[in-house]
Amino acid sequence: MELLNLAYQKIILPNGLEVILHRNNNLPLVAVNIWYKVGTAQEKKGKTGLAHLFEHMMFQGSQNVPKEMHFRYIQEAGGTLNGSTSLDRTNYYEKLPSNFLELALWLESDRMGFFLPSLTQEKLDNQKGVVKNERLENYDNQPYGLAWELLITNLYPEHHPYSRPTIGFMKDIENYTIDDVTNFFKTYYAPNNAVLVITGNFEADNTIELVKKYFSDISSNGSAEPMEPQSFLLHSNVEIIHEDNIQLERIYLAWQSDNAYGNDDAALDILSDILSGSKNSRLYKKLVFEKELAQDVSAYQFSGKYGGHFMIVLTAKPGVNLDVLKQEVFTEIENTIKNGILPKELQRSKNGIRSNFIYSLQNVDSLADHLNHYNFYLNEPNSFNFDLNRYNEIDEMMIRKAAEKYLTKPYVELKFIPRK
Amino acid sequence: MKLIRSKAPQSKNELKFNIPSFDNFKLDNGIQTYFIHKKELPIINLSFILNTGSKSDPANKKGLSNLLSLCIDEGAGNFNALQLAEEFDLRGASYSIHINNDITTLGLQVLSEHFEDTLKLLADIILTPHLNEEDFNRERRKISTRILQLQDEPDYIANSAFEYLLFSKQNAYAYPVSGFPADLSTLNVMDVRNFYNDFFSQGNSAIVIAGSIDKERLKNLLNNNFGRWQNKFRKPGFSNPKIETKNQVFVIDKKNSVQTEIRSGHLTSKRNQDDFFKKLLLNHILGGQFTSRINLNLREKHGYTYGAYSRFNYYKDNAFFYVSTSVSTENTSFAMSEIFSELEGIRKGVTEEELIFAKSSITKKYPSNFETCSHLVSNFINKLLFNLPDDFFNSYIENINNVSLEDVNQTAIKNIHPKNSITILVGNRKELEKQLTSDRFGKVIFLNYDELFV
Repeated sequence: MELLNLAYQKIILPNGLEVILHRNNNLPLVAVNIWYKVGTAQEKKGKTGLAHLFEHMMFQGSQNVPKEMHFRYIQEAGGTLNGSTSLDRTNYYEKLPSNFLELALWLESDRMGFFLPSLTQEKLDNQKGVVKNERLENYDNQPYGLAWELLITNLYPEHHPYSRPTIGFMKDIENYTIDDVTNFFKTYYAPNNAVLVITGNFEADNTIELVKKYFSDISSNGSAEPMEPQSFLLHSNVEIIHEDNIQLERIYLAWQSDNAYGNDDAALDILSDILSGSKNSRLYKKLVFEKELAQDVSAYQFSGKYGGHFMIVLTAKPGVNLDVLKQEVFTEIENTIKNGILPKELQRSKNGIRSNFIYSLQNVDSLADHLNHYNFYLNEPNSFNFDLNRYNEIDEMMIRKAAEKYLTKPYVELKFIPRK
Repeated sequence: MKLIRSKAPQSKNELKFNIPSFDNFKLDNGIQTYFIHKKELPIINLSFILNTGSKSDPANKKGLSNLLSLCIDEGAGNFNALQLAEEFDLRGASYSIHINNDITTLGLQVLSEHFEDTLKLLADIILTPHLNEEDFNRERRKISTRILQLQDEPDYIANSAFEYLLFSKQNAYAYPVSGFPADLSTLNVMDVRNFYNDFFSQGNSAIVIAGSIDKERLKNLLNNNFGRWQNKFRKPGFSNPKIETKNQVFVIDKKNSVQTEIRSGHLTSKRNQDDFFKKLLLNHILGGQFTSRINLNLREKHGYTYGAYSRFNYYKDNAFFYVSTSVSTENTSFAMSEIFSELEGIRKGVTEEELIFAKSSITKKYPSNFETCSHLVSNFINKLLFNLPDDFFNSYIENINNVSLEDVNQTAIKNIHPKNSITILVGNRKELEKQLTSDRFGKVIFLNYDELFV
């Protein structure tokens, strides 16, 4: 589809920084988006959450930018900004009026190159307090908030890069030192471990000059060891029961599955939609709509660079036994493997995916993040059509095979029950 | 030449940005329609708005209008509930119904190629819903269970308790949109049908649409689907007496909490053109964004919270000001002290520098409020809801720039009243009892959630 074919320019500076530019002149806006190739996956035992804490520290100022001023400069220019940490990467981004592009480049280059001189114990202690509260608010004090952590620590073996939560364990958060933060920066935050994407309304020649002006004197650094995807075998089912501050019981089932952009990744995505993505999806229709055994159901394929898992989550209606829900899920999986799916179900999923691709082109900032995403996983920013075709090529047989390959293997079962 | 990094680069030149123009026309039966033509992508976003929300729920039938919004797409025209959803999904359309205190919105986002088909489905839902007993019973069971689930969420408890105790039970704005399971259990399908017949009509409707479609074709399609709709109808009524806020602190016990959800505030004058921009600037400085006084104090200075903010919350016919945050249990009373001291502080005035920053931030950010079709539609829903003047968007920046330091300082004294605030704390009662040993934030009252809505 021509609409999804995005023209771009890519250059690599001598210090290793990759730069990708895509113009879109609909509005006088520009988006700046940097991915550092480091995430939770690179953390060590006892230092969980360090990648995320580090992301917080990147907003605490750098040599030429006092604390709080990173936010203030961007906001004063009418921009918005944030960052996020995932298992595979950490990103930082700004969207601002196009005449302030240089401001964003100045700020991003200052913290890429000159972060350490402004690092203090006081800033670290403050952000440890903030992150502890982030953990309390979004995980410990949320109903079902510990589910992800309980699942991945039981599904992935301890040495696997995905066996720890991005937010980190409370004890680890409390124990980070200035040395931890300094070493993390020295190892991972360098131009040769980063990709800068600029999308929106800008002049191409001038912009490349601006990027060189601010980034070319930052020296390449870092001794990040390359990591390889790691396979593992879950030999038998793992069953966990967790008491929580809830009234409705919930069951989580998780199987090891394929990595991002692996051979079965797209088929598993579509399978998750066929199981739970719409009113007519199999599990929703049967368990929420018809039998009213479940209040809600969701299935999804989580996949990253170093691993993946397929999850199904169901909340029981009051008085319904979780084992009944579990039995229903396995019956449906068996049915899917044995009898396959209808052409209409496949069409429904594919059409929804196609629409979402087009809807996602509306924001210059999400476009920038998308380009970085494709560059990271596929080494080709202009991969919207490749990605859409990945889904279009899925046929009925591929879905049956993917279900059989992964969902008949040992799994982790996590039950949330009300605290006694 | 060596780069000097110590100074921030300045902007290159002034930007030109034209607010997108809009068309305003009426369908054959009088339905007001706003259309913003946006051509870059083959996307259309439409909202059909009904001037009826949960504030029109009758006494003892709280949750009725929400239940109608849940039932209305459970079968319509020639389709049952599952078939109807399938028709939308096969066309890759995203379709949703949203209800708040004031209005009900049926929203559709779809690729232009499927607009005609899905508009017809939307018309089926609005004009000829089945409202069957079987569907009604299923949706009622589902929302009743959903309310149980919401009651486990500390932020839901804090928000619903705050609005209930702020407005008091005499005021229709006090009640949660989803209602109460006890009320829901007494409803039957006729209640839902009657509510539909009373309020769903051309006379309570408006349409906002943004996207890639020719205006004349759009007019024809809308008229074909909605232009002949003629129903008798009522204008929704509701109770909205003036309420005085008493200075009180309500502690709602949530066992095993490790944080305290805090909401603190009071009623203010409803939205009006005269002080809207002054309040917007005031709140930007006080608690409206990351580098506001409240967030910098509670988060960046003290590390008590992941985030803290304040806002003026506008309903169509009422409004309130509040501060919201969630803090670790042991820091609750310290955080309260800082919040109250910021509220007292802002009444002593803001600085010229703060005001310049707020104006710059809001005016320069303005173009990004018009980026997507859904941005455009939600801007115009606001225009309809608050009856904003036609030049509202074009005069926005000028109106911001016209606010003076004196205006903001007067607005603070008039609209921020920490001594007349009510405060809700949702958390661990045992721990909070130890911290709340005086009435310095207001008289302290301990409640269980069950005792709240009586």
